[in-house]
Amino acid sequence: MGNDDHALIRAVLAGDKDAYGLLVERHSESVFRVAFRITESEADADEVAQETFLRGYRSLADFDGRANFRTWIYRIAMNCALKALSKRKTEAAVPILEEYDDERPGIQLADRGAGPDRLLLDREIEARRHAAMEKMSPTERLAFVLRHLEGRSTEEIAAALDVPQSSAKQAVFRAVQKLRRSLAPLWVKS
Amino acid sequence: MRHLTEEELIEHYFYEDANRIVVETHLRICGRCEQEYDEISNALAVRAPEPPAREPGYGKRVWQTIQQPLLPYSSKPRRSFFFMPRLAFAGACLLFVAATFIAGRVWERMQTRSSQAVVSQEGKERVVLFILDDHLDRSERLLVQLNHAGSGGEAADLALQAEARQLLPDNRLYRQTLADSRDPLLSAALDHLERVLLEVANSPGELSSADLARLENEMNTDSLLFQIRVLRARVSSQEPKSDFSRKGTLL
Repeated sequence: MGNDDHALIRAVLAGDKDAYGLLVERHSESVFRVAFRITESEADADEVAQETFLRGYRSLADFDGRANFRTWIYRIAMNCALKALSKRKTEAAVPILEEYDDERPGIQLADRGAGPDRLLLDREIEARRHAAMEKMSPTERLAFVLRHLEGRSTEEIAAALDVPQSSAKQAVFRAVQKLRRSLAPLWVKS
Repeated sequence: MRHLTEEELIEHYFYEDANRIVVETHLRICGRCEQEYDEISNALAVRAPEPPAREPGYGKRVWQTIQQPLLPYSSKPRRSFFFMPRLAFAGACLLFVAATFIAGRVWERMQTRSSQAVVSQEGKERVVLFILDDHLDRSERLLVQLNHAGSGGEAADLALQAEARQLLPDNRLYRQTLADSRDPLLSAALDHLERVLLEVANSPGELSSADLARLENEMNTDSLLFQIRVLRARVSSQEPKSDFSRKGTLL
């Protein structure tokens, strides 16, 4: 897979623009997935995926041939996703919706036939999880998403964030601590 | 009995602990650590919404959306990395020959004149100290500006982030170079500084006063600034001294 990517990059740099289309097709779903994990919004993640591949194309000449294309494009995707997130932060706080809304799946909870108490608790948990994610610094958020949600190794996270492995590990620790502290009062209540 | 730290428990959750069996055994016999581990597991069991599945042909759709404004790269040969292997191979051969030659001379010198090697090492350290002084000076100014902006309720501008980005690779290099030094304060301060620089450099936009306050609170930038001032004073006081008069720690 990695070697095929390099062959396609060579073709793109030799003037075959369509070869980049194959790279987009190959990596767009995973880019969308990581963008969604960071932004928690389908619309934002779609935009981030497009922006990522646009930027990727324009910077392709600077791509280091020893690197893995997936890691490289992930790094661009993460930066784009953080930018989208930062833009959104300037907007008002997001309320928890009462009714289903296709545009904002990230802030709703599935009704699995639970009673009102459980529903309320679920909403409280989601609100606290969301608040904890907002409190994380960009590095912590990225490291947490990659480690916990994407299942990447510390080595891969360090490569994607361009930091030493110890820093990547520390970022994951701090993120988990923030999540744990945000949710702790609920465990006591329940 | 030593209890497990939060970091060890988190490592255990992510299957990254070196002594997994030891941790598991401890968790079986220690109620306090078991409870703490359960709390971490509960917190991590709260999952974010899963990404919605994309329709077949999603990649094609993305490509169709973005392809129009993209201009093809020029097809004439580029001096990109793909043309590097042959050059790199030639360079590697040259380097190997040079390294072998130098290694032979160094070995000979080490055998016959070990005292000269000590002098050379001291000289190297002195060069590092000299350059490090400049790096610490720039870092100190950056931290002062960050703290000043934070306490004044202002946002840190992009120039500060650019400065942090410039300092980051240098800091990493010094930290790695001095990792084996016998000065724990210096290593810890450079490590601490790297985390702060990372946060500033990786910030997606301008750092608001709230971001700066969080940075100051979580990363204790005041304390870091103090450490850097102490280190600067030490580095400056050692630069002009004779190498042979120094004993003990590197700094």
